[in-house]
Amino acid sequence: MFEVRFHGRGGQGAVMAAQALASAAFSEGNYAVAFPYFGAERRGAPVLAFTRVDSKKIYRKTQVYEPDFVVVLDDSLLEMVDVTEGLKDGGVVVVNTRKKPEELALGENIKVATVDATGVALEVLGQPITNSSILGAFAKATGAVSMDAIEKGIMDIFGNKIGMKIAEKNCRAAKAAYDRTISADGRPREKEFEKKPKWLPDVKELPIGGAGVKMETNAGMIGPGSFLENKTGGWRTFMPIVENDKCVACQLCWYFCPEGCITMVPYDNNRFKKGIAIDLDYCKGCGICAHECPTHAIEMKR
Amino acid sequence: MSIGIKDLPEENLFTAGHTACAGCGAAIVVRNIMKVLGENTVIYTPANCLLVFGATYPHIAWKVPYHHVAFENTAACATGMKRALNTLGKEDTTVVGFAGDGGTADIGMQALSAAAERNEDIIYVMYDNEAYMNTGIQRSGSTPYGAWTTTTPAGKVIKGKELFKKDVAQIILAHNVPYVATASVGYPQDMLKKVEKAKNMKGFRFLQIYSSCPTGWRHPTDITVEIANKAVESGMWTLFEAVDGRMEITHRPKERIPVQDYLKLQGRFRHMSEEQIRILQNWVDKKWDRDSRLEKALKMLDESTD
Repeated sequence: MFEVRFHGRGGQGAVMAAQALASAAFSEGNYAVAFPYFGAERRGAPVLAFTRVDSKKIYRKTQVYEPDFVVVLDDSLLEMVDVTEGLKDGGVVVVNTRKKPEELALGENIKVATVDATGVALEVLGQPITNSSILGAFAKATGAVSMDAIEKGIMDIFGNKIGMKIAEKNCRAAKAAYDRTISADGRPREKEFEKKPKWLPDVKELPIGGAGVKMETNAGMIGPGSFLENKTGGWRTFMPIVENDKCVACQLCWYFCPEGCITMVPYDNNRFKKGIAIDLDYCKGCGICAHECPTHAIEMKR
Repeated sequence: MSIGIKDLPEENLFTAGHTACAGCGAAIVVRNIMKVLGENTVIYTPANCLLVFGATYPHIAWKVPYHHVAFENTAACATGMKRALNTLGKEDTTVVGFAGDGGTADIGMQALSAAAERNEDIIYVMYDNEAYMNTGIQRSGSTPYGAWTTTTPAGKVIKGKELFKKDVAQIILAHNVPYVATASVGYPQDMLKKVEKAKNMKGFRFLQIYSSCPTGWRHPTDITVEIANKAVESGMWTLFEAVDGRMEITHRPKERIPVQDYLKLQGRFRHMSEEQIRILQNWVDKKWDRDSRLEKALKMLDESTD
């Protein structure tokens, strides 16, 4: 039996990757199950999905707590989530990153494999959706399933859902990622992963009227405006680069930003505002500002 | 002189850090409406995306009093709060219900209609993303013809929704309320003007705001605003307002672009056949004709009766 945990962000397709892996293992004559972890996730928020594969019928229905393999679809998650939590000795972590495996310090007695799946996906699919590419990397790094089986799995799951043509494209992405995957032995972590404490409210602690009063707890701020604690900048694939010389202070980007993370730089000689500043702690990289800017002063770059 | 983008305050009463998808149209709408309405506002939302991305326990993005109510009773709850505030002598506090199209056109309709009939002193904002996006893209009464959703899939025989979009703003207009308006996330000036107008009026005020949804409509996150623009330019969406029933179209595209130019930007319409596009274009032409005639008839409403 082997168990896999997928760490992704909503919209990257971690659930479909888990299903395609299960389908791949099934095509090799195994029993396999795949299931997501449900929460109130939106696109970009961290999500989990699991695959469990065995040669015998599977009766275990729990989430995967001690995975053999971990797949990370977005390297910005490495700082937010303890991806190696419960990972067995000799396990493999497959990470989508532009870094080399030697650069990642995720722990001893494990193998680390890396691939620039986002780059592959942008090249082959034209979209930063990395779930198919990462499966190619998984096959190369773990050897738990063959590349042929992965292709079958992708054709099965993707083909049914989004059509055969796009499924074939995804197979090409997986193969490209297979060729570009490199592995190395894991390095010990430089410092232990700090798990954020959970805030469990006490009746005495909870202000009357729920979270109507802003208050500090051991897990951070709660109450009005406390979402500011939630730094959504990590969701970003593309980053806005601003050329303030071109800015005519029309304030359209400032208006259209869904996050409200753009601020106008104050008045210069009481005439124009000088330009804008983007708070990258919150910018999700949607690109509306760049698309709406009348003078093309903003450009989205990876 | 009505309010413009440059008159808006810098402070966000709906803060960053909320968990809406990148490129969310509803987030743009809510954030800017709150800048107009100001601090002296109480918010009600039923189940919708805004509820989840604006306040997930224990975090909350709102800096004003905020209540989550059941799906069907946004207008009823807002009514209760407004009356309680009046009793306390806080007549100047604005009470706003923010609901999606599912919570307005389908589930919240009876409470909304009743509140409109009683002419309660509240503002009801329907942000229209044309499906139940929060639960994973199911069709609503507000979903347009031909659109793919998970409950109107595009198959070999039936391709997308077979029924047409419900015109909620016209339903509310028929209640003879002081203010009904439609707005779009793509027309900032128009939207801000209408919100400000609604804020300074008394009685039941209804705003239906078109807000694109990259996740549910299957379009790239950066063209949220462009799509909202094209919806107006193609006539899929009519911008109008009606003060005391006097309806006036506030933006009339010089020349309507073909509806296909609007459809082709979105994955939810990708499967549509030429025949379907023709049917939808026909529907748009008829709707536009009807809206224009309505405007003509309702504009002169009081001239003949006063």
